[in-house]
Amino acid sequence: MIKSTLFATAAVAAAIALGPLDAAAQAPAGDPVAGARKTQMCAGCHGIEGWRTAFPEVYKVPKIGGQHQAYIVKALQAYKSGERSHPSMRAIAASLSDKDMADLAAYYAQSGLKTAGK
Amino acid sequence: MLQQTLMALAMAAAIAATAPAQAANVAAGQAKAKEVCAACHGADGNSQLPDNPKLAGQHGDYLEKALRDYKSGARKNPIMAGFAGALSKDDIANLAAWFSSQPPAVTSRH
Repeated sequence: MIKSTLFATAAVAAAIALGPLDAAAQAPAGDPVAGARKTQMCAGCHGIEGWRTAFPEVYKVPKIGGQHQAYIVKALQAYKSGERSHPSMRAIAASLSDKDMADLAAYYAQSGLKTAGK
Repeated sequence: MLQQTLMALAMAAAIAATAPAQAANVAAGQAKAKEVCAACHGADGNSQLPDNPKLAGQHGDYLEKALRDYKSGARKNPIMAGFAGALSKDDIANLAAWFSSQPPAVTSRH
């Protein structure tokens, strides 16, 4: 009984000690299949060739199929935090969890490979 | 004679008026890209580094906006602020023309 308590205490201590060190590794792994089911909010703009933003400036929304997974996550985090400002993207990114971002990034990163160059 | 001269002047004016205000120079963009962007984004925009976006085939007007925003500080990134801050308006137009005309590494079709 004491032994198991000690073991549990040691395990908790180890987890706490490892926690901060492991912060980067704890970023959720992206699942492209799950990501494919979360694109409803993205496809309306990013899935239409040549679609233009209307506000606050008019330019074509970036192509994201085939983009680097890590960069997509960074962009979504920057929109969520407000570091990068775009009204629509800020609102959408704010509704995404870290897992959602990882899944979407995994999906878009691999989805371009099938169609890139066509 | 006077009529011919006037006609020639009118034609020259018409040509000047229809020419694009500032036609982007793809070759100048390529040279600038090699000098400024290639180390992180690849000379043709096919970045091999996961944190740095692929630019090849990206929309030119989006690339211009991104560079303008980095230059103005509207979009914050210490590395890009340094590079974009040193670019002129023409450099930005030329770079956007170069990267957007490369074989696409990114697509709108998913």
